[in-house]
Amino acid sequence: MSTTEPVEDRAAVLAGVGGWVPPHVVTNDDLSAHLDTSDEWIRTRTGIRTRHRVSPGMATSDLAVEAGRRALDSSGDDRAGAVVLATTTPDRICPATAPDVAARLGLAGVPAFDVSAVCTGFLYGLATAAGLIATGVAERVLLIGADAFTTIVDPTDRSTAVIFADGAGAVVLRAGRPEEPGALGPVVLGTDGTLSHLIRVPAGGSRQRSLAPTHAPGEQFFQMEGRDTFRHAVDRMATASRQAVAAAGWSMGGVDRLAAHQANARILHAVADRLGIPAEHQLSNIAEVGNTGAASIPLLLAQSAADGGLEAGHRTLLTAFGGGLAWGATTLTWPKLSAG
Amino acid sequence: MFTALRDILVGPFKVDPEKVTPEATLEQLGLDSLSVVELSLILEKDLGVSVTDDELLQTPTIGAMAELIGERGAPV
Repeated sequence: MSTTEPVEDRAAVLAGVGGWVPPHVVTNDDLSAHLDTSDEWIRTRTGIRTRHRVSPGMATSDLAVEAGRRALDSSGDDRAGAVVLATTTPDRICPATAPDVAARLGLAGVPAFDVSAVCTGFLYGLATAAGLIATGVAERVLLIGADAFTTIVDPTDRSTAVIFADGAGAVVLRAGRPEEPGALGPVVLGTDGTLSHLIRVPAGGSRQRSLAPTHAPGEQFFQMEGRDTFRHAVDRMATASRQAVAAAGWSMGGVDRLAAHQANARILHAVADRLGIPAEHQLSNIAEVGNTGAASIPLLLAQSAADGGLEAGHRTLLTAFGGGLAWGATTLTWPKLSAG
Repeated sequence: MFTALRDILVGPFKVDPEKVTPEATLEQLGLDSLSVVELSLILEKDLGVSVTDDELLQTPTIGAMAELIGERGAPV
């Protein structure tokens, strides 16, 4: 491992992007067949029309490998000195999923680990990847956000089953200069553990395991307090966005694209409204893919880069919020890339 | 205050104007619990009124809700 540049001059620069969703599509009508809901109800209350679901036996690592390969292809170089996987749905409790993913991408031997920050995982992963580059641990980092969220959602819970979905997105970050297009701006991160109960899967961890070998019905599933989550999501994403934009020396009016965690169309609308970012500057794919957890932002970036919604030179604001509670935001000027 | 609240319900929330009466309940207007959070955010941003979604949910009718918002200092 060589470090030819002084650490303080280094920036993490976006070099590749890719996304992947499993082929199985679930429509609102499919869900209405076994839930007390309808296509109209889901569309008007969440903005979601379809979402993708893993097929039986498919795991988060399978999604991550597909997206990771596409991001590496997009970067024009299949090497990476580290692999970071942001996920809420690892293949199993132990060990981490990232080493499997790295090995399947031909990267066995590199440092690889998971980051757990629920729907803000990609933002935490960006800061982590930038740190690996700044400290000289790696010259190039493959950061993947992947979630098989449907595997932890209660299929009979109307409030979450219609929203959460499966997918993966990935970026390659390389060592570069702060003034380059694609250089990651200051990253704003925060948490509030006094509100960890708002978004959780109660069973499966050490607390439940030390109490009893079995768990109460439903506790293995993802639970979310909708109203409180909505309010905090809007507050935290708007505040973190303002902080990140200010730290970058930008103004909110100078933001060309907002890439917010695709939580729910109504949250996205409320955040953009607070920030004064017009609809034509908001990237969105929630109608087609739903809320894909840690995959949400990189999948959105990959799809937007591919469909022309995101072009080189766009000053782009990223923000996310999720369980923890955890939130974050950062900025970058979109570089010239081939979409993965 | 009722007029200002009606304008918000008819505008951003796309509620049928004929349904917005002082006696109407949120349920009758087809608004779900997240709508109350959205309403709270709009009241804060557009009218500078701080009313929580919990407080709004406790009002039995749109008329009572308008009264609460008015008490918090919103322009009539």
